[in-house]
Amino acid sequence: MKLRYLLWLRRISQGVFLFLFVLLLVKTRLPTQAVIDYSGVMEGRGDVAVDAPVTIFFQIDPLVWLTSFISGHTLIQGVGWAAAVLLLTLLMGRFFCGFVCPLGTLNHLAGSIRPSLKGRRRREVNQPSPARGVKYGILAVVLVSAAAGLNLAGFVDPIAIAFRSLALAVLPAFGIGLKEIFDAMAGSDIKLLALASYAAEEIVSPVFGYGYRTYQTGWIIGLVLLLILFLNRIRPRFWCRFLCPLGALLGLVARFSPLRITSDAAACTGCGQCNKDCQGAADPLSGYDGPSEECLRCFNCAGTCPENAVRLQWRMPRTAGRKAAPDLKRRAVLAGLGAGLALPLLGRLDGRVHTVYSADLVRPPGSLPETDFLQLCQRCGLCMKACPTNVILPALAEAGFAGFWTPVLNMNHGYCEYTCNLCAGVCPTGAIAPFTVAEKTTKPIRIGSAYVDRGRCLPWSGNGPCIVCEEHCPTAPKAIYLVTAAVEGPDGAPREVQLPQVNLARCTGCGICQNKCIVRGKPAIRVIAAGESRHLRNRILL
Amino acid sequence: MFERPISRRDSIRRMLQLAGGVVLGAAAVRPAAAAADGSFLVDGVGRSQGFSIQELVKKTFDAGGGIEKFVKRGDVVVIKPNVSWAREPHLAATTNPEVLQAVVELCQAAGAKKVRIADHTIHGAARCFAVTGVGAVAKNTGADLVHPRSSLMRDMQLRGERLNVWPVFTPIIEADKLINLPVAKVHGLSGLTLGMKNWIGAVGGRRNALHQDIHQTIVDLTRFFTPHLTLIDATRILTRHGPSGGDPADVAVLNRLILSNDPVAADARAARLFDMDPDSLGFIRLGRQQGLGLDDTRIADRHQVVV
Repeated sequence: MKLRYLLWLRRISQGVFLFLFVLLLVKTRLPTQAVIDYSGVMEGRGDVAVDAPVTIFFQIDPLVWLTSFISGHTLIQGVGWAAAVLLLTLLMGRFFCGFVCPLGTLNHLAGSIRPSLKGRRRREVNQPSPARGVKYGILAVVLVSAAAGLNLAGFVDPIAIAFRSLALAVLPAFGIGLKEIFDAMAGSDIKLLALASYAAEEIVSPVFGYGYRTYQTGWIIGLVLLLILFLNRIRPRFWCRFLCPLGALLGLVARFSPLRITSDAAACTGCGQCNKDCQGAADPLSGYDGPSEECLRCFNCAGTCPENAVRLQWRMPRTAGRKAAPDLKRRAVLAGLGAGLALPLLGRLDGRVHTVYSADLVRPPGSLPETDFLQLCQRCGLCMKACPTNVILPALAEAGFAGFWTPVLNMNHGYCEYTCNLCAGVCPTGAIAPFTVAEKTTKPIRIGSAYVDRGRCLPWSGNGPCIVCEEHCPTAPKAIYLVTAAVEGPDGAPREVQLPQVNLARCTGCGICQNKCIVRGKPAIRVIAAGESRHLRNRILL
Repeated sequence: MFERPISRRDSIRRMLQLAGGVVLGAAAVRPAAAAADGSFLVDGVGRSQGFSIQELVKKTFDAGGGIEKFVKRGDVVVIKPNVSWAREPHLAATTNPEVLQAVVELCQAAGAKKVRIADHTIHGAARCFAVTGVGAVAKNTGADLVHPRSSLMRDMQLRGERLNVWPVFTPIIEADKLINLPVAKVHGLSGLTLGMKNWIGAVGGRRNALHQDIHQTIVDLTRFFTPHLTLIDATRILTRHGPSGGDPADVAVLNRLILSNDPVAADARAARLFDMDPDSLGFIRLGRQQGLGLDDTRIADRHQVVV
């Protein structure tokens, strides 16, 4: 039986899944074609939602499911998909790595296009290496941390890495570049260029939008991806072989897979070509006794064998004579256990988890209380990509060490759109609990509260009339109200102005007042996390 | 680029040369502010049970001389609604989409080459277009709906009393005919948001600074844009908590439309719907004093149509 078709099947599958992933990633935003039907009576209608969220890729990811379960004691939506992936892995091995994983595909491409290692050198480095135990150590860190209440999966989960990198670094980087070109073209005095810029911007807008989308720490996120891709020059699929915790988890299951790659002893000449092209350094030359938990099911061996000697066999793995555990290097796993216990404890040291004091830690609406939030948040960036105003950013220091790259709102950057619930709609784990727009506005869901900085405020400081914050306040009745009073102007003469005041009972902390304030950088009205409804202990009013 | 003062006409012509509108010459010879002798004002009132908005719009234009009087075959017509906020139509914070659709269809029937809907929204434009119904109007009628963005803002010399160089949303001025289609609602600083104030939605830049001299900047912008027609949508008005509203209890259904080629008179007439003296509103008073138009009561050619 010739197995070359499997190679092509794998390539097609990788292409399809990568395309699907990027497509859904791009579509994780307000649908461009969403319009309400106003004909007949003009009344409220359903919420505008992301029509095909990329969330499915997180639902098929067993690591996301497992860490959410261990850490948050919840079964996330769509857990059946993850179970199906585990079951299929039990049957067929790490097909997910070879056929589905978008980061795996990117690694595969990076390692295969003009590879740095060739010939004998490549065959030599492609021997099984003890370093492959490291990924089990990383898995141990993630699982133990999860058990201790800090979900670190998002830092190392390949789906989260792929989404975060593409959505928060690669796409915005290209978007900014294109936008600068368009603005330059539109500003030029050549008519044809201006028209071309208009048309081109319309064409790319479904992918890049119309504005400059930027993300705090985006450059770190991008560098991490570049590093992961660069590692393929040291070893093909370095990440998948040595580091990926999802690969480790699937490997633990794949070990029992009855689908074994073996060779036709009569045909095999022992040339070692299969080992040279093996993506997982799984040593296919040794046949079915080889470490199947390392096999990425890429079927390069079948494709490359000059004698067509590679075979697939269904047979139960021989356990006798093999090591009891897969390559669980004891030291790596022990280090992982230690780190897994230490990191959650270290993460609590800066006090952001138990002591509520960070004014900047404004979470998206619907977010769970901080401890629960950190148990579930995957730091994947879905909410940040979906947010129409670009207000949700990956945290740098706002949420402390434990909350790095979790979503925080920066009202100088955007504001929380009053009638929007896209972020909750795409969150794969429910760290942002789902809510309807009606719930958000009537309950209401508060993310913080606004305060006037009287020294900066134009009317309060006597510098002139301005009601911009009141004008933009979206609640009905408005949380910001105006009190007419005489204040002393800069010339010492009294002038009558309308002074903005905040009614905390109505303020939801949406931050549009801060975002639109004429004073930039440190606006005259600002939102802090105090008053958010997710924390009983951070509420203000009785 | 702006060392020497250039006139509004120059700047428009120049803009068109630069940005390359489809429409070139015609816009450069746009008529100046509505002359007093040609001014008219139409009150459209929907009174009968179950009247159609479409018919009310049509009859209102007919009373003003018919849409054909204003829109010629081959014209590029730009309609500036007020869809600043992502609010549903029944909340009266934005222009009624049924009125907008009727106007678009009238322009198309009159032979307009292209009808463009343009507004520089405050909330995210995509959501505003989706929620206010203006997106559906564009879809239903085939009108162009322009997504505002930085590449469409161009610094221009406004030559106002207060405003000098300011970024202008260019799709609004690349037009043969410009129709202002605001909603009537209250506003915390200017008192009311009517037609003249709607032009704040036609510029870019730091719009939140305009509030420091709101009345004069409104007048400056009205003079710069000088619409051919103003149709004020008072089918329902927002009586409190403007300009963004949000509570149906603040909405009053009036079923009224006000059509005029005099931007000041249209606003003055609309102010009376709120039981306000037009002269109590700074921008109307200044507009009249600075020769942009007349008080509504001084317009001789006045009609009322009841549907």
